[in-house]
Amino acid sequence: MQRRTVLMGIAAALVAPAIVRAQGSDELRIGAPLPLTGPLAPEGQKQKRGYDLWVKEVESAGGFEIGGRRVPVRIIYSDYQSATPRAVQACDQLVTQQRVHALFSPFGSGAAKASSSIAERYRVPMIAPTASSREVYDQGFKYLFGTFTPNETLTEPLADMIMAAAPAIKRVAIFSRNDLLPLALSAEMKKSAVKRGLQVVFDEKFAIGSLDFASALTQMRSADPEWVFVGGYVNDLVQVRTQMRDLGLKPQVLTMIAGPAYEEFTQALHRAAENISSAAWWHPAVRYEGVDIFGKTENFVQKFLATYSALPDYIEASAAAAGAILQLAARKSGSLEGPALRDALASLDAMTFYGPISFGPTGQIEKLVPPVFQIQEGRPIVLAPTSIAQGDFRLGIT
Amino acid sequence: MQLAQVILNGLLLGGLYAAMAAGFSLVWGVLNIINIAQGSAVVLGSYVAYFAWRYAGLNPLLAVALAGPLLFGAGWVLQRFLIQRVIAAPVLITLVFTFGMDLILNNTMISLFTADYRKIEGVFPTVPLHFGALTLPVDRLLAAAAGIGVAFGLHFYLHRSRLGRAIVAVRMDRQTAELMGVRVEIIYATTFGLGLAMAGVAGCLLAAIFPTSPLNSAYYLHIAFVACVLGGLGSVLGAVAGGLLLGVVESLGALFVGAEYGTTVAAVVLLLMLFTRPQGLLGRAGYE
Amino acid sequence: MTSRGRLAIAIAVIGGLACAGLPLILAGEPYLMRLVTMFSLLLVLAASWNIVGGFTGYPSFATGAFFGLGAYVAAILQAKGVDWRLALVAAGLAGGILAAPVGYGVLRLRGHYFAVASLMLGTILKELTTGWSDLTGGGMGLTIAGAGGDPEVLASFALRVSLALAVLTVLLGAAIKWSRLGFGLDCIRMNETAAAGIGVDAQRLKTYAFILSSIPSAVAGAVYAGWIGYIDPTDVYDVMWSVKPIVAVLLGGVGTILGPVVGAAIFVALEEIVWRNVLSFSAGGLGVLIVLLLLVLPAGVLPSLVSRKTRS
Repeated sequence: MQRRTVLMGIAAALVAPAIVRAQGSDELRIGAPLPLTGPLAPEGQKQKRGYDLWVKEVESAGGFEIGGRRVPVRIIYSDYQSATPRAVQACDQLVTQQRVHALFSPFGSGAAKASSSIAERYRVPMIAPTASSREVYDQGFKYLFGTFTPNETLTEPLADMIMAAAPAIKRVAIFSRNDLLPLALSAEMKKSAVKRGLQVVFDEKFAIGSLDFASALTQMRSADPEWVFVGGYVNDLVQVRTQMRDLGLKPQVLTMIAGPAYEEFTQALHRAAENISSAAWWHPAVRYEGVDIFGKTENFVQKFLATYSALPDYIEASAAAAGAILQLAARKSGSLEGPALRDALASLDAMTFYGPISFGPTGQIEKLVPPVFQIQEGRPIVLAPTSIAQGDFRLGIT
Repeated sequence: MQLAQVILNGLLLGGLYAAMAAGFSLVWGVLNIINIAQGSAVVLGSYVAYFAWRYAGLNPLLAVALAGPLLFGAGWVLQRFLIQRVIAAPVLITLVFTFGMDLILNNTMISLFTADYRKIEGVFPTVPLHFGALTLPVDRLLAAAAGIGVAFGLHFYLHRSRLGRAIVAVRMDRQTAELMGVRVEIIYATTFGLGLAMAGVAGCLLAAIFPTSPLNSAYYLHIAFVACVLGGLGSVLGAVAGGLLLGVVESLGALFVGAEYGTTVAAVVLLLMLFTRPQGLLGRAGYE
Repeated sequence: MTSRGRLAIAIAVIGGLACAGLPLILAGEPYLMRLVTMFSLLLVLAASWNIVGGFTGYPSFATGAFFGLGAYVAAILQAKGVDWRLALVAAGLAGGILAAPVGYGVLRLRGHYFAVASLMLGTILKELTTGWSDLTGGGMGLTIAGAGGDPEVLASFALRVSLALAVLTVLLGAAIKWSRLGFGLDCIRMNETAAAGIGVDAQRLKTYAFILSSIPSAVAGAVYAGWIGYIDPTDVYDVMWSVKPIVAVLLGGVGTILGPVVGAAIFVALEEIVWRNVLSFSAGGLGVLIVLLLLVLPAGVLPSLVSRKTRS
């Protein structure tokens, strides 16, 4: 037992230097826990690309403008290994040890929700770039802000558009990855379908990490749906699509979220991606004239393309937007103090490359309208909102 | 008809499982080691196939000739100089040891290749074959056939070649084999090499169909576990039978119990098997 | 007084003092509190694993299954308005009730077969939890009722509860080791067939050990759920919950009473150092640690120290 005390002392001593190191110095420190390893690693990498691009942009502009002076910005990353407890621990460590001024939340709604209490307690503003569920924001917290609108803002416009294009559709199949975001989206999809008098003829989930969907899809084929909705991440969706083709499953309408927004989706599927409809919180085809560091959407897309040789998707854009939003708030508040930054964020009403930014009373973004799009001739074509529409909805898949 | 299609899907999947389980089973049977790193080794094989296709346009089914020897060498060295040092330790130690190796290999692959999913495309025709109402994807058919073919190849190698028969001898009775002049460390190294080579081969076949990522490794390991126990330890033909059975059980489970329960059904079947017939389908009692 | 009695009293006194004092000492250091809580939870799992893995010699990988079960039982009950203390008790009971039949079944297997079967238990529970989404929320996870309050109050509370649980689990380990049960388990570990020959009812004793080991693991899961405030199946049924306790016990010394304490402390410290200094190779770092440990110090820290002392 004594030995334990000694060991704890050693542990504390090893930890201590890091505490001291973080004090003082005139810079803006942001803590960003990321799932760089584990099941969410691909998503974590995307978030990181968004942050890195923003930091690069700030650096080439000579720093961050706060109250008339320029301050360098530093993001402190931490790998939470796709495990929620580590994510919470990382937030705690970043706030209490590294003394960060703001946090970019861990990936997804679950981890964001679990770690938001840390931000609230220490009065450090937290921007969540990838949390959409209402429950994350319904906790009555004042320091949490999110850049995704609630999930139904994706499924409702999709359902409207498809019902307008094919009013005869009656039978819908829903197939979803048993995971936070896809499940939430599928639940909303079901509501949107039932609301419109559609019959849900197949409603199944698949386990995280599944590679083979042949059995479930064979069953789906027997249910003979006219509209198939699949919720999952890009890898799941590519596999589901390929195996649908293998089994000759050809519904009139095929909707997939949240994969078609990614460039690798069309790259992997070629012709099979044609006419797949989807929705996302952001898309490179949108056009906004921002007052933020990136300015126009085209400019952001250009810079991203130049840096990573790929088109940005909604996660990468949302992550970069988190930085841009924080920057706008800091310029407004003129201070890096948590409460001042928080008030500036809460009262922000500005246009950015990502879209209009203003946060509702719960902290979730309000005015953003997620675009609906469809893959046509190998490219995602925006169909809604009408102000930025590039084409019309097409029926049938190859 | 739906049932026939689902069983067919399961068999095609099972061919791949057979290749994954064969090497795993061999190592378990001969060295009495469960190689937790097997799943990551399969992924490594997939990367060999992926990069060979990406940079040299090589067909993933031919990449077997590349990944097999490469992983054989790696396995041989690993066993000879590292695992050999804990080989006599209790089950717990060797299990945790290979678990540590798995963490290292997997994290290294994430660092080198990222966790993004990579897919080989455009090698096989995308139009499936039709037999009445049954559909049969070409790529799956070829990969499954290759998987079973390679497993049979391994079986014949073990029973016909000199080295192979020495491996079988060590598996049956190590002390006697030693007395007969078999150098057990070399046999161990060769066996472990063969185990990893089979993982590499399975990885190539999988890469022809599924996307490659280090994140797949846990799933592959699970498959190898179940197929191996189902079929019977150390028996290569048992692993083939176990793999095919597992493929069918998973597919039927997904059909009758629900898509998300495919692996659960397989795990339950595994437990039942352990309780009732721990020697597996084709294994002989007393070998475990 | 016997040395055993002294050790038991020392554990109780120092543990009690730590429970009372540490939350006060660490009051201004929430992060250290978090580390000590992590240590305590790991210690609970390590000490309870030690009962089956160390005393009895059965390489169990089922710790994570009971941890996850406890987390879900407590979270679901708390969501239905049950008091947290009752929820902890219920979690422990659930662990024990599941462990009885499962243990009776899997403990008939030996070696690798036992390891694989115990590992499958976690896989099955994880998928059942994910699938039964009406009750568990499935992949959406579950938020614990009453969580999200002042994290500093919560931190000190979680620290107290987990430390107390850790002390109890270590004492439980000591009680078992020094009892007739412990003697029986010892016989089973050394030679199960011979043990049966001298009248040890191996099947029954092994099952007792398995049940006693699963209860603290399940309660630890319940404490964890209340502490983190959000659980989902991939988090609480993570195979790491089964592996980390084993590594900790291997570090400290298998089958000893204080081995889990030493091992868990070293493990948490090493993990923290690796995690801080290596951005995205922390899992691999843990792997390096494991491989080196087994090559260099296969008997664990405590027995190595002891044997050096006796030699000199």
